[in-house]
Amino acid sequence: MPQADNPKRNLAELESIAAKLRLRVAEMVAPTGQGYVQQGLGSADIFTALYFAEARVDPGNPDWEDRDRVFLTTAHNTAIFYAALAERGFFETGRLSTYCEDGSPLEINASERMGRFVEATCGSLGQGLSVAVGAALAARRQGRPTRCYVVLGDGEMQEGQVWEALMSAGAWGLDNLCVILDFNEMQCEGHMDSVVSLRPVADKLESFGFAVYDIDGNDMAAILNALDAARETKGKPAFINARTLVGKGVPALEGLMAHQLMFPAEVAENAIAVLKESLS
Amino acid sequence: MSRAHQLEKFEAADFINRTHKPIPRSYGDALLAAAKKDQRIVALTADLATPTETDIFRDELPERYHNVGIAEANMIGLASGMARAGEIPFVHTFCSFATKRCYDQITMQAAYPNLPVKIVGFLPGVATLLGVSHQAIEDVAIMRAIPNLMVFDPSGPEYHASAVDAALAHDGPVYIRLKRPETPPENDIVPKEFRKGEGILARNGGDLTIIAAGLSVTEALAAADRLAADGVEASVVDMASIKPLDADLVIDRAKATGAIVTAENHSVIGGLGSAVAEVLCDAGIGLPFRRVGLADRFAEGGSTPYLMKKYGLDSTAIIKAARDVFGKKD
Repeated sequence: MPQADNPKRNLAELESIAAKLRLRVAEMVAPTGQGYVQQGLGSADIFTALYFAEARVDPGNPDWEDRDRVFLTTAHNTAIFYAALAERGFFETGRLSTYCEDGSPLEINASERMGRFVEATCGSLGQGLSVAVGAALAARRQGRPTRCYVVLGDGEMQEGQVWEALMSAGAWGLDNLCVILDFNEMQCEGHMDSVVSLRPVADKLESFGFAVYDIDGNDMAAILNALDAARETKGKPAFINARTLVGKGVPALEGLMAHQLMFPAEVAENAIAVLKESLS
Repeated sequence: MSRAHQLEKFEAADFINRTHKPIPRSYGDALLAAAKKDQRIVALTADLATPTETDIFRDELPERYHNVGIAEANMIGLASGMARAGEIPFVHTFCSFATKRCYDQITMQAAYPNLPVKIVGFLPGVATLLGVSHQAIEDVAIMRAIPNLMVFDPSGPEYHASAVDAALAHDGPVYIRLKRPETPPENDIVPKEFRKGEGILARNGGDLTIIAAGLSVTEALAAADRLAADGVEASVVDMASIKPLDADLVIDRAKATGAIVTAENHSVIGGLGSAVAEVLCDAGIGLPFRRVGLADRFAEGGSTPYLMKKYGLDSTAIIKAARDVFGKKD
């Protein structure tokens, strides 16, 4: 049972992994400036909790049929996703340096051509949650212990299909589904409230039949507690509203609303120095 | 150990601003100019203002601009409602999302009622590092099949202003696929004109004809130059108006040169190549013919030159096809 390999539940250790992953994000994006550095830094704690404490996955056997399935529906948030996957052992960390290079499968939008650990190709926003609902239904029908985790974007929730999927998951009481909203309030044009606001998100989701947990998405203990509560909730899918701070960990970047930031060399160099220091 | 110097937020913002290289908004400027003349024009975007050059419209005519959020199908419905109320909506997002995400909505709420909804897509074909989800390789095929709807694929930013005029000149729905320059051009962009239903003879040669659209026109012209160096003179047609297609020009070039290659930044199925083949077959013309395009396969994210070469869309692929058809001439 690959469970033995996981989970690690040591808070200090998890926080240290998150710090390491943040550094990897900055290092991966620095060479070309391409990549979603703000989102990656902001969601590092979520990915750390999922891959190093919660999800039952086996890097030695990515096809394991009873695995938990992690869906990254904001498929552009790849720097942190690849950093977490590599650190967890799904592929060599050395391959991270090929991020966004011509010919590298480490594309800026995650593609399932990388392997089964990319559960679906979701660069077209709003589609992944439906796939997760389908996988959760199948797992329930087949009597598998599989839980489906979805890292969902807040801007992505403007897509109508997300609400079709949410409505069905709530109506069918899929308690093996856990949606984690990376609520960083940022989309291409800036602050989400200046485009089409999602508020009040918790009320919306409760009315759709979800058990809702509202947390600081950069607080590792809070994430773990919410994941525990979600797992123990029966008869309802879970929705963790993880309020995250874009650029978290680099003071010059924290809160800077820049969806497609071209990471300038000077800023990247400084970010790497700051993140390295946070590790020591 | 001394602490790393921490950049202040304003310093970081300054570096970011300086990194930003402005690219001319050939399309965005033209749309704004048209909107200043015609009060009926409104602009919508699904959260892609800057990449679709509509940020300038947003800033200058905010009361006639809507960022509807990441909701393309809804955007088409909204545009239909506006058009039914006498407005001329231009809707904007990437080609892939402007077509495939809202195909049914376009069909029923723009094309069937024949409303002046102008659908403007960016990132045509394979030309983006954003990968399969963002690559519109079948958009021309599916949009061409919708009754009432015109399809334009201009070859470069010099034709982007003309695309606005051509869209307005057609009293009904239009789909335009545009490719922005990836880096600031060295010289000023000099506007050129194309018209609905008229191909442009960009080069005249008697040995064969290359009919191209969009990004492939530059490749076709480069191919023709290299062929000419070997004594093979190719005509090159810039077929910016894919629907309606300039059938007269296709037939004229077929008869004059006796061999045709089509070239498009799109799948070989259903796009420009298919449209040209339909014209030739309908006219009963049999001749050496090859389609250059994406060979019924998915691509991947990457730089444009890398993808054009790897997937057989560049001038080298066009030359190979041209030599093949030229060699088969009677």
